[in-house]
Amino acid sequence: MLDRRIIDGNKFNQKLADEMAEAGYDRIRACIQCGTCTATCPAGRRTAYRTRQLIRKALLGLREEVLSDPTLWLCTTCGTCQERCPRKIEITDAITFLRNLAVEAGYMRPEHRGVSHKFIKTGHAVPIDDEKWSKLRESLGLPPLPPTVHCYPKALREVQKLLKKTGFDKLVEYKGDD
Amino acid sequence: MAELVKQPKIGVFICHCGSNIAGVIDIPKLLEYTERLPHVVIATDYRFMCSDPGQGLIREKIREAGLNRVVVAACSPTLHETTFRRVLNSMGVNVYYFDMANIREHCSWVHSGEEDAALEKAKDLVRMAVARAAELEPLEQKESDVKPSVLVVGAGISGIQAALDVADAGYKVYLVEKEPSIGGHMAKLDKTFPTLDCSSCILTPKMSLVGQHPNIELLTCSEVQEVSGYVGNFTVKVERRPRYVIEDKCTACDDCVEVCPVNVPDEFNAGLSWRKAIYIPFAQAVPNAYVIDTEHCLGMTPIACGKCKEKCEPEAIDYEMESEILELEVGAIIVATGFELFDGRRVLEYGYGLYPDVTTNLEMERMLSAAGPTEGKIVRPSTLEKPKRIAYVQCVGSRSERYNPYCSRVCCMAALKQARQIREKYPDIEVTIFYIDLRAFGKGYEEFYESSARDYGVSFVRGRVSEIRHSFESDKLVVRAEDTLLAQPIEMEADMVVLSCGLEVFSDAEKLTRALGIQRSGDGFLLEAHPKLRPVDTNTDGIFICGAAQGPKDIPDSVAQAKGAAASALTMLSAGKVILQPYAAVVDEDLCAGCGCCEASCPYSAVNVVDNRAQVTEEACKGCGTCAAACPNNAISPQHFTIEQILAQLEALFQEAK
Repeated sequence: MLDRRIIDGNKFNQKLADEMAEAGYDRIRACIQCGTCTATCPAGRRTAYRTRQLIRKALLGLREEVLSDPTLWLCTTCGTCQERCPRKIEITDAITFLRNLAVEAGYMRPEHRGVSHKFIKTGHAVPIDDEKWSKLRESLGLPPLPPTVHCYPKALREVQKLLKKTGFDKLVEYKGDD
Repeated sequence: MAELVKQPKIGVFICHCGSNIAGVIDIPKLLEYTERLPHVVIATDYRFMCSDPGQGLIREKIREAGLNRVVVAACSPTLHETTFRRVLNSMGVNVYYFDMANIREHCSWVHSGEEDAALEKAKDLVRMAVARAAELEPLEQKESDVKPSVLVVGAGISGIQAALDVADAGYKVYLVEKEPSIGGHMAKLDKTFPTLDCSSCILTPKMSLVGQHPNIELLTCSEVQEVSGYVGNFTVKVERRPRYVIEDKCTACDDCVEVCPVNVPDEFNAGLSWRKAIYIPFAQAVPNAYVIDTEHCLGMTPIACGKCKEKCEPEAIDYEMESEILELEVGAIIVATGFELFDGRRVLEYGYGLYPDVTTNLEMERMLSAAGPTEGKIVRPSTLEKPKRIAYVQCVGSRSERYNPYCSRVCCMAALKQARQIREKYPDIEVTIFYIDLRAFGKGYEEFYESSARDYGVSFVRGRVSEIRHSFESDKLVVRAEDTLLAQPIEMEADMVVLSCGLEVFSDAEKLTRALGIQRSGDGFLLEAHPKLRPVDTNTDGIFICGAAQGPKDIPDSVAQAKGAAASALTMLSAGKVILQPYAAVVDEDLCAGCGCCEASCPYSAVNVVDNRAQVTEEACKGCGTCAAACPNNAISPQHFTIEQILAQLEALFQEAK
């Protein structure tokens, strides 16, 4: 595909880098764009995820471009880039931070939202909400539900209280049982 | 003594240092405050007090107001104390009637953004300096003869050059080298960038000059153990390890080598070939004599082996040789102890030491050398066949917070040079250099870079290699990086990988710097007195540094710095005399009880109790004041930093600023 765009240098700003520095990732400004992170990334070998490019765009302040980039979600947080970075940049942590900003800006993946809703509803991101899982457990000699919030409705209410208090429900646009 | 009773008339000169000081400290307010301090007859300011007009201003005020003491509030005395003392001297005022208040490094530089507090601190510093100035006493400088000889430590290209320059000027040089031959790393190189001179062709004539020079006493297998004395008069203890071969008798005939049954990896060939336990480091070694490696020798008795001695016709082998300690008297010392190559094994993801085809830049250099283990042929270590593709990995151990944060400065050019040599010899071998930034900054370097791409077809990938693995399918190495210019990960199969290992400080730097009393910078290399204006001096007078011991450096820079160090040492030697600061401690014999606290506390062994009284060896005393702090009777005190002067400063400090 031909890309005729020219980068608009007037849009460069330090705000995003400032925010990242304030959150503790100040070393990203020491990045020398060597590409060790992209080259070493096991996810990037299979997908379009390009670590260095995301960090580069963040440094330039191309905020919308970074936060709306669906590849931001392809990092598996394995930490190899962080371990090998010659400038000891907290890359994996910085990517996680960018994801938080993305969600705040409304760029949440529908799949993540779904999982979050499940979490609020059941206290589990991957709940046992299908009869076949319970049956599988029983076939293995286990009780149908594990001794977690699944068995203790009072504990589940506490989890939900916590999620409400932290504003997680609003963040993931949870509007009660639907 | 008339001067002593004279009423102090102090002039205070406040420097703006451009905006360095004036940008933070309110100078008019500081001036107004200073004028009211006791004994101050004049206080004035100027933009750059160290400049010619600034110095003129001080002279003018000394004349006008009849000042007998001067305080300059400016930068650190290490920078400009000498400058201002010269002004006093030119006006006939004793130079020890001078003090500096450091309101730059100690105040404006560290307190920018807190102007009010900085002004208060500046007031404190000036008030303290004025109080001390009132207590200062005139002192007489002493001169000391300079011994007309120089010790050069390390005999790589830097040490060789420094030694030759000093010796050619007519002074005696002791050249101490740890290894059995001089030549250092340069002797191992095949060709040198950017002119492609053969390294041996330009180095070995210098080595042979060193060996023959009537003014150079060469001490190989030797190391500095202890240094005492002071500028112009150092006494150095050097340990000379036995070579077990008498240099003068050895004819380098090779008979001993033929009978030696022991094989050891040859360090000169970066371990790529074998040598015997009795060996000569390389054909052009100076001194051209064999040496026995006692670590690997079976034992120097006829029962254990003794074959070499049996075979040696000139009877040059002496198993009875012992270590000796030599005591050298020198006026100056030049340290040229060089560098050590970064150990590639430390970067685990590159697999050096695990995959035989991952090599280092030094190993490639030996391969390229016609006198090397492969006689100049490039071969894959695992198969001994000619490789089809070679990948270079730059910045191994350099520019990394995990290893060394600095740039090693020579690896880019060394890689370009080797790549070009490979392409010249074998146009069918592809060479790709993986780099972060290609630094070709020296004279003729950029042109060399351009030519290696244009005329020799060396290819480049801008991206640091993240890992190297071995592919069982192809039996090749797989190099992973990102082509950052295309923003795509890249995988390349190569038959051989060359790691451009960086430079680190020489191994026993800690021991040597301790013996010499010189410092190292944060990167481990030797610290110069000033990075720009005193690049070959150290903070210890009379000790100079040069070459890669001071920081990563290529040959042209090393030689230039070696010449600079030699010239600096020669300046001292040809002057014949050095000025000694009269700071040595003095003893009040009426108060001294001979308890010996001073003797026990002195770090320089300069104080001894004789006949129940402390005695100071003036030349050895550095005026540090440790004895004064230890003395229970206040009977000993360094001059120029007397107890009275320091108490006056403290009293001024605790006075409230008005």
